[in-house]
Amino acid sequence: MTATLQKKICMLGAFSVGKTSLVKRFVESVFSETYLTTVGVKIDKKTVELSNRIVNLILWDLAGEDDISSLRTSYVRGSAGYLLVADGTRPSTLEVALSLRQRVEVEFGPLPFVLLLNKNDLREEWAIRDEEVEGLRRDGWWVRPTSARTGEGVDDAFGALADRVAR
Amino acid sequence: MEGLPASVAEQLQALTYGERAVAYLQVDAELNLVGAGGHLEAYGLAGLRLGEPVAEQVFFLEGLLPPVETPYIVPSMELASGHAADLYFLPQDDTWWVVLLDVSAAREAARRMQQKAYDMTLAQEREALLNRRLEAANAALLATQRELEASRDALARAHDQVQAQAVELAAWNKTLEERVSAQLAEIERMARLKRFFAPSLAELIVSSGNERILESHRRDVAVLFCDLRGFTAFAESAEPEEVMVLLHDYHAALVPLIQQFEGTLDRFVGDGLMVYFNDPLPCPNPAERAVSLAVAMRGAVTTLAQTWRRRDYQLGFGIGIAQGFATLGQIGFEGRFDYSAIGTVINTAARLCESAKDGQILVTSRVAAAVAEAASVTEIGQLTFKGLSRPLAVSNVEALKAA
Repeated sequence: MTATLQKKICMLGAFSVGKTSLVKRFVESVFSETYLTTVGVKIDKKTVELSNRIVNLILWDLAGEDDISSLRTSYVRGSAGYLLVADGTRPSTLEVALSLRQRVEVEFGPLPFVLLLNKNDLREEWAIRDEEVEGLRRDGWWVRPTSARTGEGVDDAFGALADRVAR
Repeated sequence: MEGLPASVAEQLQALTYGERAVAYLQVDAELNLVGAGGHLEAYGLAGLRLGEPVAEQVFFLEGLLPPVETPYIVPSMELASGHAADLYFLPQDDTWWVVLLDVSAAREAARRMQQKAYDMTLAQEREALLNRRLEAANAALLATQRELEASRDALARAHDQVQAQAVELAAWNKTLEERVSAQLAEIERMARLKRFFAPSLAELIVSSGNERILESHRRDVAVLFCDLRGFTAFAESAEPEEVMVLLHDYHAALVPLIQQFEGTLDRFVGDGLMVYFNDPLPCPNPAERAVSLAVAMRGAVTTLAQTWRRRDYQLGFGIGIAQGFATLGQIGFEGRFDYSAIGTVINTAARLCESAKDGQILVTSRVAAAVAEAASVTEIGQLTFKGLSRPLAVSNVEALKAA
């Protein structure tokens, strides 16, 4: 096994899509029903073991995007990759995710990312059309349904991104 | 601190240092930590090792050094300790100073404000979503209501149709019942009438609907009586079965002839038969018809008698015919009606029959006169009969004349 790597990963997405909850689930394996908005950025660290190396993921959980606070690119600087998060029950959050990804790419060039369609436990309220997701997949996007509440797909998504940034 | 007296500037510095929990790190060009100080423990940065790579010890600096611009600021960063700090990256000579200033209080205030704004936005989104769902549910409900109304209308129409059909059916039923009862009545009438009359005559009466014909009335009729000579003796000596077979053959031979000549068969009594003409339907020459029937009957029985003789039955056949007024109509009571004739003419015909020898057709002078042109008749003379006050002139019909 080679030396430990350390990679900065950003969580990007509209507000209230579950970025902080995903990190909490990934790092601490817990979930809280209380919604607490993130201001600025919250830093966490998680070590993941890949097949041939150990990677320290430095997780930058950024405040959600909305009309009054736009993305501070200074937070994204130095990232090896990012997780783009949307809420499957709110179609507008997918639009925010798409625009964030565009801004990041303009600023920093193509970085590895995975699109997470979170809150997959609320299937009866699902509002994102399958055709749209299929279209993104056809464009080469990595799209994962996740649920911070149940833990579904969370480790896989972080692991997949870790694998890509560690190459 | 330009313009501020040195003592005020120092106090301000001390205040900031204490209140904002200032901490600092010094990093060289190789990104090794070369200096550290201030409230490091407030940010979870105790136990730092100088001379070693900074990013391995202060992981939130991963990717940030060296900064691409100066001054470089990362605002409001929450660290594992729970404290939030603004990070300032300041260059000096060949090193970078990373200064941390606590902003936990300001961040908490901002968080509370932001939270309210987000909660409100989420509530609005939720309300909009619920409104859309409500509208969709409403539309579905309206559509269902319209469908229901359409179904109800269709049902009402179907109900009306069924009602109309039921009324129609009831009418048909009534008509059918009436027809059936009319036909039954007709069948009954036919059955009754066929007992008295030739079938063609019975149908004629029924189709005319004039059953008043059966009511009691007087009419000039020609009456024919016939029976077998020696039948009583035969019936006494022969087996009953033989008698029945004989009677059957006898009636089978005669009844069709009666029907053929459209005579009214009044009754069978053993070997005796009574037939009359001109009632209930009138016929132009009743006496001639009676005589024609009598000649045909004699011929038929003559043929039968050949068989009887072979069986050694000693039987002859006699006929009597009279014409005159009789009272005719239904006699009897409910359940057992007969159409019959009563009067002297009946007795006369019966007596003539009794007196006739085998093969004779005895007729009164009136009958003989009526058939003079149609038949060869021989006068026998004045005969006296039981029950009749005066003697009668009697003739025998020999044969019909060729037409």
